Amino acid sequence: MSAREKILGKLREARRPFTDVEPIRERRHMIPQQDHSPREQLRQFIDEAEAVGCFVYQLDENAALEQIMELIDADRSVLSWDANQIPFDGLRDMLASLGVSVARHDDGNVRVGISGVSAALAATGSLVLESGAGRNRNASLLPDVHIALMRAEQLLPDLETWQQRQQAAGYPAFTKASSATVITGPSKTADIAHQLVKGAHGPREVHVMILGADAVEA
Amino acid sequence: MTLDVQSNNFIALADVALHNEDLQHAIGEGTRTAYYRRLDTMFAHGDEHGEFMRQQAAEAKRRALRDLPDLLEKAERNLKANGFQVEWAEDAAQANQLVLDIASRHRVQTVTKSKSMLTEELGTNHAMEAAGLRVVETDLGEYIIQLAGETPSHIVGPVMHKTKAEIRDVFVRELGMTPTDNAEEMVAFARKMLREDFLNADMGISGGNFLIAETGSIGLVMNEGNGRMCTSLPRVHVALIGIEKIVDTVEDYATLTQVLPSSSTGQKMTVYTNILNGPGRADEGDGPEHAYVILVDNGRSDIYATKYAEALSCIRCGACQNACPVYRTMGGHAYGWVYGGPIGAVLTPLFVGLENATPLPHASSLCGSCKQVCPVDIDLPRMLLDLRWDLVREGESQAGWDMAMKLWAVGMTSPARFSLGGKAARAGQAIMGEYMPGPLGNWSKHRDFPDFAPKPFRQLWRSRRSRRHRPSTQTRQGAQ
Repeated sequence: MSAREKILGKLREARRPFTDVEPIRERRHMIPQQDHSPREQLRQFIDEAEAVGCFVYQLDENAALEQIMELIDADRSVLSWDANQIPFDGLRDMLASLGVSVARHDDGNVRVGISGVSAALAATGSLVLESGAGRNRNASLLPDVHIALMRAEQLLPDLETWQQRQQAAGYPAFTKASSATVITGPSKTADIAHQLVKGAHGPREVHVMILGADAVEA
Repeated sequence: MTLDVQSNNFIALADVALHNEDLQHAIGEGTRTAYYRRLDTMFAHGDEHGEFMRQQAAEAKRRALRDLPDLLEKAERNLKANGFQVEWAEDAAQANQLVLDIASRHRVQTVTKSKSMLTEELGTNHAMEAAGLRVVETDLGEYIIQLAGETPSHIVGPVMHKTKAEIRDVFVRELGMTPTDNAEEMVAFARKMLREDFLNADMGISGGNFLIAETGSIGLVMNEGNGRMCTSLPRVHVALIGIEKIVDTVEDYATLTQVLPSSSTGQKMTVYTNILNGPGRADEGDGPEHAYVILVDNGRSDIYATKYAEALSCIRCGACQNACPVYRTMGGHAYGWVYGGPIGAVLTPLFVGLENATPLPHASSLCGSCKQVCPVDIDLPRMLLDLRWDLVREGESQAGWDMAMKLWAVGMTSPARFSLGGKAARAGQAIMGEYMPGPLGNWSKHRDFPDFAPKPFRQLWRSRRSRRHRPSTQTRQGAQ
C-alpha cells in the first residue's frame, strides 16, 4: 500500500473531529471598512503604505519620469516588467532615450527594479503582483530599490475584496499565474536583537507611484 | 534521522537557561515586544472584533480538520492541475528520501532553504548534508542558527535567545566578518553572502503556512524575501508541508493569512504574502522549472485520532510562547525538541511519545494565557491537564508525589491539623528563610519563597468577626 493510501486510510478510520463545528453565518473582514469612497481609500492606502516604510507619490507622468530618473541615478540598466504591463505608456522608450537599458531578469547586481501592480490594498498599504507574461518575479525582488507604478483605479479596499474579485474571475492569481505576492513594505528583519533593519534580502526601498489620482493629503 | 529528543532533561536544561542572564534578557525582551504588538494589532478595532476574528480563524481550521481526508484529495487534484508533482510521506525517513530522490533526479548540488519548522522535525538538513548536498538556511535567524550549530528556540524568531554581540561573534568566527556592533552592517553582510547562494542554488526548499485545497496553492508568509528567492530562483522548488496545514477555500486563507502575522509579530500583513501555484508558466520569464509538494504525516494522523486533534489547528504564530510565563523565563531550548512553549509542551509528547517527554505537561502554571492569545483558540491548558492525567494513568507519576498528596489530604481534611500545619510552616520558614528544605529546594533555587502572612487568614477572620459585632460605626470612620 502506498504512503498516500496509508495516510488517507488512517484519517478515514479515525473518528472525525469537530463534527459539531457551527458553520459561520457572518463573515467579517480583518480590518473593518467604514468609508469606501475612492478618496478615503486613497488616503488610507497612503497612510498604511507609509506606516510600513514605503515612499508614496501621487504624480503625473512627467513628474514620475523625473522621480524615476532620480532613483536610477547614474545606473545604466534596470530590471523591469514589459512596457505593456506598466501603466505608463512609453516609459521604457523614454528610459532608453536617456541611456537606461533593461537587464536580464536574473541579473542580481542591478540596483533598481520597475514593475506595475495587479491591485493595491488600502487597508494594509499592500501591492498585489501576479506573475505572468511580461511580469517577471525578480523585478520586485532582486534589486535594492523597487519602483511600483499604479493607477488610482487599481486600489481596492482590502485583501478580502481582492479575494472576492479573484473568485468572480475564477481565481487567475491562484491558477493561471505561477505565483502572486502581496507586498507590504520593504524587505525587513528583526532577527538581530529585535532591531528592525530594512533590506534583509529583498528591496530595502519600495517607491509606489500613483498615476492619475486626484491628489489627497495623507 | 530526527532530532534527538532531550525533553526528559527538561529540569537540567531549564537550569542552564535560568543561569544565563543574557538569554533571559533577550528572551524576555523579544517575547514582551511581540506580546504587546499582537495586542495592538489584533484588537485595533475593539476587543469584540478581535475576538470575532479569532473565532472566524478557529472555525476555518476546525472545519478543514473535520474534512481533512477529503480536502487532502481535493488539494492533490488541484496541486496537480497547477503543475505541482505531489508526493506523500508517512514519516521523516520517507520525506527525506523523497527530497534526496528529487535532488538526484535533477542533479542538485546546492540547496537554499527558507524557514520551515517541519524540516526541523524531520531532520531534513542532516539527511541532505549526509548525502553530500550543500544546504544553506536563508532566513537570517536560521542562517545564524545553522552557522552556530544550534536549533531554533522560538517558532517565529529562531535566534531570539541570542544577543547582538553573540550574533556578531558567530559571523566573525564562522565567516570572517569584520567585527561590528551595528545590526544594519551585520544584515548587509549576510545579504551579500546569501545573495551568491540564491543565484547559484539548484534547488529551493520551503515549508508552507497554508495549503489551499480549492485552488491547489501554497500560502507562504515572510518578511525578508528569502522565501520568495528560494521558490523563484532555483530550477527546482520542493515544498514540505504537514497534512494539517490544509484550508478549504481562498476565503478561509484570506482570513488566516492576516490573523497569523497579527498574532505573531503584530503586523497586519507580513512584507511578503506569497501564493505559489507550481512551476513557472510557459509564457512567464522566470519561476522554477519543476515544483514538488511533499505532504508529510510524521505522526499527525495518530494525533488526529485522539482527543488532542485540536492541536493540529496550530498555525505556528508563536503567540502562546510570547505569552507563557514559563517560556518567557527560559526560552525554547529547555523543552528539548523542536517546539517550545505551551504548544511545544503539548505537541512534543504527542509526536515523540509521552514517556520521552514526561516533564513537559508540567512545564506550565496553567495560567491560561496561551489559550487566550491563541489565534485559533486551541485549549492548551485543557490538553496539558489531559496529558498529566495520561501520565498518571500510565504510571509515570512518582511515589514521592503520591506520598506528598496523601500527607496533603491528611492536613486538609481536619481544621485542627490544618492549623497545626500552618504553624509548623511558619516556624519552618523562620529557620530556613527563603530557602525550602529537601526536594522542595529545587523550587526555591531560582525563586524567592514568599513570606507567610504574619497572621493566618483564619485568625484574621476571627478577629474581624468579633470586631463587626461591635455596635459603633464611628470606630471604623475613626480608623480611616
